[in-house]
Amino acid sequence: MAARVLTKGLLLLRNPRLVPTVLYLCRGQLHATAAAIKPLQSNIESNATDNKLLNQPLETADFFRLSELFSLKELFDARVHLGHKKGCRHRLMEPYLFGCRLDQDVIDLDQTVENLQAALNVTAHVAYRGGIILFVSRRRQFSQLVECTARDCGEYAHTRYWQGGILTNAPIQYGLGVRLPDLIVFLSTLNNVFQQHVGIRDAAKMNIPTVGIVDSNCNPSLVTYPVPGNDDTPAAMELYCRLFKMTINRAKDKRKHMELLHGPAASPTTTSS
Amino acid sequence: MAGSRLEKFGTIYTRVRDLLRSGIIKQSDKPIWYDVYKAFPPKRNPLYVKTSTKSFNMNYGKRQREDAVPDIFYKEDLVRAKFYEVYATGPRPLDLSRLNFVSTCQRFVERYTELERSGSLEESSLFEETAKALLAEGVVLRRGKRERGPAVTVAAESRDPVLGVKLADILEEQHGASSAEKQDSEVHTARTSPQ
Repeated sequence: MAARVLTKGLLLLRNPRLVPTVLYLCRGQLHATAAAIKPLQSNIESNATDNKLLNQPLETADFFRLSELFSLKELFDARVHLGHKKGCRHRLMEPYLFGCRLDQDVIDLDQTVENLQAALNVTAHVAYRGGIILFVSRRRQFSQLVECTARDCGEYAHTRYWQGGILTNAPIQYGLGVRLPDLIVFLSTLNNVFQQHVGIRDAAKMNIPTVGIVDSNCNPSLVTYPVPGNDDTPAAMELYCRLFKMTINRAKDKRKHMELLHGPAASPTTTSS
Repeated sequence: MAGSRLEKFGTIYTRVRDLLRSGIIKQSDKPIWYDVYKAFPPKRNPLYVKTSTKSFNMNYGKRQREDAVPDIFYKEDLVRAKFYEVYATGPRPLDLSRLNFVSTCQRFVERYTELERSGSLEESSLFEETAKALLAEGVVLRRGKRERGPAVTVAAESRDPVLGVKLADILEEQHGASSAEKQDSEVHTARTSPQ
């Protein structure tokens, strides 16, 4: 059996210059040094900076300007709107479908745009706050793509067989004090036998929010931020991977930028175990 | 850390919110995503919905579900259906790798709608007129019938002359073959005799 280990992305491989943002003037500052600086601040000041750093982004609707990353036309060209046949349709996906053309379901791209916007926004905010993001996909066609995406944005991926107790029995399987992911992104919510991936139910059990690309044969009820879309075409998967990678990189760069402006947060990121 | 593993009751947000409110989870241990969820909640509450397998009982329900996702049909589909009925697939194969590819059928439909909009011809002759127009442009449409009703009679008609020709050919071949065989056998005997 292949090694059932979480493939960890290397943090130092992040490339901020790939992100085409206008405001950022930090030219290739070393990633490691910014995090190491922890000046002594009084409690009141540190709280104020915390509030500014953490709460200010939540006030704007699109703080990371993610709506410019994709358009409806791009989704259409990547064949995101193509669903499965009528017989494969899941009852709960009916509100997300535009119609049925000669027995093939067509996903409503207007809803996809809204849901994708929301999902990317949440991913960006979680990445901004230093959360761990786990990419899960059990589609063997795209396992290489997903793992490379995770590595390129410094996050984690799990595209192998999902052992039962990965999330629910983590302290025993991985040792005490393991930090679980703060967001799980499912690039395909089904496993190899076309049943719902165990990770969705486990994440709901462990109170971890999920973002999931739900096709017309998937169950979207337990996914926190479902994105109705095609999960079978390589073009569509490459689009999703590219979008998630860009949002996470953008969010992390924005965090560094904000830390330089306001001073780093004195309190470390909270551990959720 | 305390948690609630009841995924079928409420959403992750409601469970964590209630745990925070009751003080089981301290404010300092608040999950990272909690504030993000509060600021940007999803459009639909991620409540667990029971998918019952016993949905075949209610016929009324099934009729409703069929209406839930409408069929997509266009006015041009009538023209397309007739085109495929008469001409089977067009002369050119469909190249779906190009995004702006216009197939023969699509050209036919566009010309049909143009002629219809001009309003000069009647309904019955529109089809032939578009075919002629496309022929003028250099698109040759060959009548390839589908394999249902018409094909059977076509095959039956063509079988009789074929049969007739075959008999004559067979007789000729037999005569020719028998004479050739005699010659071959003579050659063979000639060859094999020295051995």
